Amino acid sequence: MACGSTKLWNGEATWFCCGSAWGPCSSAGGGACGTCRSSALQAAWPNASKACWDITRPDLCGEDIPRRGCGSVMKVRHDCSGASVCVTVSDCGPRTRGFCSESTCCDGICRTNRVIDLTPAAFSAIGSLSSGTLPVSIFE
Amino acid sequence: MSAYRTGDPLDRRRFLTTTALHGATVIGATALGAVDADAAFAAPIRPLDPAVAESAFAEGRITAINDDVLAVAGSYGDHSRVRVTGATSVWKARATTAADIETGDGLYARGVPLPDGTLAADAVWVNIVNLHATIRGIEKTRLHLAHGQHEIVGNLMTEATSAAYGTASPTADLSRLTIGQSAQVLGAWRPSDGSVDLVRVAVAPGAGRRR
Repeated sequence: MACGSTKLWNGEATWFCCGSAWGPCSSAGGGACGTCRSSALQAAWPNASKACWDITRPDLCGEDIPRRGCGSVMKVRHDCSGASVCVTVSDCGPRTRGFCSESTCCDGICRTNRVIDLTPAAFSAIGSLSSGTLPVSIFE
Repeated sequence: MSAYRTGDPLDRRRFLTTTALHGATVIGATALGAVDADAAFAAPIRPLDPAVAESAFAEGRITAINDDVLAVAGSYGDHSRVRVTGATSVWKARATTAADIETGDGLYARGVPLPDGTLAADAVWVNIVNLHATIRGIEKTRLHLAHGQHEIVGNLMTEATSAAYGTASPTADLSRLTIGQSAQVLGAWRPSDGSVDLVRVAVAPGAGRRR
């Protein structure tokens, strides 16, 4: 599927591990879609399904994020550097409701609420893993 | 003369690749020092040299260290060789140098694939973890965390562990962490005992307020 340029959402991106992995991630499993791998350009989306939405509840943070299921393709762009990466939805997350109002800023640009979780491969393509969060815009 | 300086017109990855391809690889602390990954990625990303393939990624456990090349066993049975240069930023609980990398460590590496099959890394993150957990216990020197079905010990590091309470900037004040809080934990896994050295513990806005 194409990695488009139509604006979908913006907010904070975080990262997570999935699939076979080392350390505490070794028990992460393949995620809600069963295909998630830390080394692949993949993402977790908070509205990957109704069951997923019931867990993440981004609406409690004022984010009415649209449904995009397993296999959906998105482009995630770092709002300051302009670096971008195309990812495939492969899991449910992040748990947006747990961090309502949290924001990440760079160069005076701030994005609020966790709206997408990237695998280490995807997150590191546009930012540093040690930052933990990035302000991003998401396209499809 | 420094071959690479932050802000130079010379692209970071071009320098990295050029350095590696010309055999001028170095490891550990150099005159260039360890380049902080956050600073490196904050710089505008320029297009890659047309002669250089797209950036690549590697992950796994380090099985051997031969000069400036890390042999890495991937989590799916794959194998890769990660080349560390003087321009490689190294993170292991903090910005550091390749001298701190050990056999048995886990890593994520980002870089450029070279013709010799190695990945010339512009950044490696050693043992880094970013976990969603629940605080189950608090001691003077450690936290007890529940991550899924597993218990993890989080080591508090003097003057290094910070807490982020909602929208406030991270602080060294950990006194508002409480049992039962959900937290995002960024830290460095210790292969020797499975614990995690805590770098940053982020809890939800309002979760750390005193009642």
